[in-house]
Amino acid sequence: MPSETVAVIGGGPGGLRAAQGVADLGGTAVLIEQRAFLGGTPVAENYCGLTPHGEPAQPQIHQMVDLVTVNPLVEVRLGTEVAGVAGDPGDFSLRLHRAGTAATQTSGDETIQCGAIVIATGFGHFDPGRATQMYGYYEFPDVITQPDLEAMLSEGRVLRPSNGQPPERVCFVQCVGSRDRQIGNEYCSKVCCGVASKEAIEIRELLPDSKVLIFYIDMRMYGYWENEIYWPAQEQHHVQYVKGLITEVLPKGDRLLVRGEDTTMGRPMEVLMDLVVLSVGMEPSPGTRELARLLGVKQNKYGFVEAVGKPLDPVSTDREAVFACGAALGPADLEDAVSSAAGAAMKAVSYLRSRAVATGN
Amino acid sequence: MTVAAPLQAQTDPQYKVADVAGYTEVSYDAKARLFEQVKSDLRFGDYLYGCYECGICVGACPSAKFYDFSPRRIAQAAAREDVELIYQQMQEDIWECSQCFSCLRCPRGNNPGGIITIMREVAVRNGLASAKEALVGYSRIIYKIMSTGTQVSPDMLGRDAFPDWGPETADVADNLELWRRALPPETMHTTSTGWSVADRTLVELYLIWFETGALDMIAQVDPSLHSILQELMEDRLEEEGIEL
Amino acid sequence: MTIPMRAPVDARRLANPGDEPVVDRRPLEDPRAELLELEREGELIVQKIDREAISVATKYGREKRIQKAHLWHHKSCGQCGHIPGYSTSIFWIMRKLGYDYHDPHDQTSCTAWNYYASATSNTAAQAAVAVRNFAAAYETGYFPLIHCGTSYGHYKEVREQLIRHPELRAQVRDIMTKLGKPLVLPEEIVHYSEWIHALRHEIAAKQVRDVSGIVATVHPACHYHKIVAGDAIYDPDIYGGQRTAVVTGLAEALGAEVRSYSTWFDCCGFGFRHILVQRDFTRSFATLRKIEVMKEEASPDVVLTHDTGCVTTLDKSQFAAQAHGRNVGLAVLSDAQFAALAMGAHPYRVCQLHWHSADYRPLLEKMGIDWEKAWAEFQSDLRRLESGEKRYLDWDDADGLHDGEQPVAGPAGMNTTIEVRDAI
Repeated sequence: MPSETVAVIGGGPGGLRAAQGVADLGGTAVLIEQRAFLGGTPVAENYCGLTPHGEPAQPQIHQMVDLVTVNPLVEVRLGTEVAGVAGDPGDFSLRLHRAGTAATQTSGDETIQCGAIVIATGFGHFDPGRATQMYGYYEFPDVITQPDLEAMLSEGRVLRPSNGQPPERVCFVQCVGSRDRQIGNEYCSKVCCGVASKEAIEIRELLPDSKVLIFYIDMRMYGYWENEIYWPAQEQHHVQYVKGLITEVLPKGDRLLVRGEDTTMGRPMEVLMDLVVLSVGMEPSPGTRELARLLGVKQNKYGFVEAVGKPLDPVSTDREAVFACGAALGPADLEDAVSSAAGAAMKAVSYLRSRAVATGN
Repeated sequence: MTVAAPLQAQTDPQYKVADVAGYTEVSYDAKARLFEQVKSDLRFGDYLYGCYECGICVGACPSAKFYDFSPRRIAQAAAREDVELIYQQMQEDIWECSQCFSCLRCPRGNNPGGIITIMREVAVRNGLASAKEALVGYSRIIYKIMSTGTQVSPDMLGRDAFPDWGPETADVADNLELWRRALPPETMHTTSTGWSVADRTLVELYLIWFETGALDMIAQVDPSLHSILQELMEDRLEEEGIEL
Repeated sequence: MTIPMRAPVDARRLANPGDEPVVDRRPLEDPRAELLELEREGELIVQKIDREAISVATKYGREKRIQKAHLWHHKSCGQCGHIPGYSTSIFWIMRKLGYDYHDPHDQTSCTAWNYYASATSNTAAQAAVAVRNFAAAYETGYFPLIHCGTSYGHYKEVREQLIRHPELRAQVRDIMTKLGKPLVLPEEIVHYSEWIHALRHEIAAKQVRDVSGIVATVHPACHYHKIVAGDAIYDPDIYGGQRTAVVTGLAEALGAEVRSYSTWFDCCGFGFRHILVQRDFTRSFATLRKIEVMKEEASPDVVLTHDTGCVTTLDKSQFAAQAHGRNVGLAVLSDAQFAALAMGAHPYRVCQLHWHSADYRPLLEKMGIDWEKAWAEFQSDLRRLESGEKRYLDWDDADGLHDGEQPVAGPAGMNTTIEVRDAI
């Protein structure tokens, strides 16, 4: 029995926008989220300020969540995974498995009908210890990642994990886990330059006596990020940008020695730092990999879902009635995620409507 | 493999001497031909992709800390096919590399040390003055490996050969033969080779040097050493009845 | 994630000139699988690990197997020539653990020292030399074990070149045919420090000297872990898997304290050519960037490393620097010599420390070794050689046994009936 429901799998910004979009168009949506809460990575990883302007992330994301949870056209399934899919385009049945959570629900299985699917399972951050990049993430407490820093910024304090003191010298290392043939993530993760610069500004504001450096290959400042992030970072906040990628991070006394080349000055460089922030890239989340496998949609060689109609159709997969949005497709910022999510919602609903017209339902 | 014809020095009427830069200037075409030899090497495609010009290789490089040397500039020059700069690099730069391959840190998978190895081979094959200069004083090692099958031997620790290594080296020289007999491993009682190499094995090595043209490369760098080695090897191969 | 490694490389080689070349070249993730594939195609022979082996993990998770016994010792020029206690210790440890081996006469140098120093060679010559040695091992049935770090790194690179370039394979095959040998590569290229790492607990079980008061710094050889970086041993329990595990694993298994320092990843400064004809570079680098930093930041009793060039450089560079009042003066030992000492080896008969330059005596004293007595024992051995009583010292002499004596004390398993094949 053909269904008019769109199943949106993943309750992060992309999934929330897609479910919202389906409802806005008068369709019905089931939003399936693996975690016990909605909001996705920005909530799970304590995003403090959104790029580019640094406005508080949590209230904004929660606003998106509220719009969906009160919407009568959207049903939400928390703590739930997709365990299997059967059926045909326009007439899928999804087997859902609900994990037992502390107080709110018992575990169990459920089957739902849907006519179209939107994959919104997003990304995971690259683990800098995995590929032994010689940055010592697991060795040195003062080497942290961007998400670790967001958690600190959320508490309003940036402190060295080793001794609890505010750092005097902080540096960012760009392209960790991205743009690297040896690791295999050959792509650019798009957001880390903007996020690093935003975080650098935030550190300079919290710790006016600190010196903050960003070591990069290229500064990826698309569009308005140039004048909204990069220029203020340099001009108002005196963040230092050095074109030269870091080779290794080593202990020296109670500080960290960071080695690279200051390429524009043409000389090798070794500088002491109190805190090193690794700008880790994006990889497909385990959810994205698993769901792509279950649904049998084509993935690119990095494991992201392949949008087969790029660049003019960035949301269709190679499977009819299955669409994808956000970081499940590849590195994406929040604007990308909500834009493609709205696009996917539109395509899903129009797909179902045109089927209904064609079959006279 | 044939050895390339020697390069013709280029005299520019503006210069009073041909080597005003400190090395022999040659025509642009000659430089381009040298680069072509580098580029057409079997390994070149494995050693050079794109270059981010990010300097991660320089951060890791030991020679960059002591010389005005940069693996990044090697990779960049090769990627840009800047034959003038590459020719200049083939004079001094490439001999400063310590071949440690720390530059394999490169996120693009480039191998500047490997590119340098190819550039050195081209310099040697073409008899560049820089190659000859760099290898002055080195011939005894070439002679040792090519004639005995091991690269260094105990008798190279001559009494006055390594004074900066300390008096212990002189002790070795003074007691060499005795101390070598005081080694338990059966193959190591030698003084003129690292270990005892079977005659047949040595001859097999000679065949490899001949067949691959490695022996010819020495002709450019040290012609008299080349004739000594060639004669030595041809005689031994003949004795063993091996046809080249 | 499984990636079919054959496809991208072949696509690049076989693409029509008009096609866009597929430049997707990750370093070979699984050279072993590549070799076995080539063997299936009849391109070469792979010498298999056919006895008990220990599994270890490499940098990106690939499993590597280390055969324990029946090994063909691919010796190192610099070790045998200038640091003979290094090779001797490797053989001695193997004997003590009771594993049979072959010490060949039909082995040539890998010729990589010359190649990296002078480039008076080429790809085909280097590959042919490697394969000739591997064929010599294959013919005996003993599995090759590489003593020198540069031989090991160089052979890893040669393996990659042979896998990627059929024309090179063809050229080398022709030369091998002339020599009456097959084109053969071992299933794994194994460095002796990997063998020591895999067997470190067996070594520790035979330990008789206490090193718990010894502080060591470790210098990892560039050519061990930087060439074909994926094929090197990493262990999540050692440096959190962030640095290569060899040498450190052994030192820790023996109970020594390993301390870090800020120039851990730096080269020793050997330079191949530099150490011979541009010595100020090597000496400056070794002392300013390695020895002085280790001394200042870690105050070790010993510097441990696992390559010929590194031992040579770090050991020999200190004398001249000392003359200029620099803060140097650290004993430098290979992991093999250190392990041998811990297992009760004689510092002169086995470890041959009299060939070293930097003062090792404080280290020996701290290990409870009476080096004066040991030196006197060695001197009496030398008298026996001088008098003509013996032509050479042998393995019994190395353990202080004189012609048929039984061991008085020492680790169990100190037997003299190791099956060792001599020259063919």
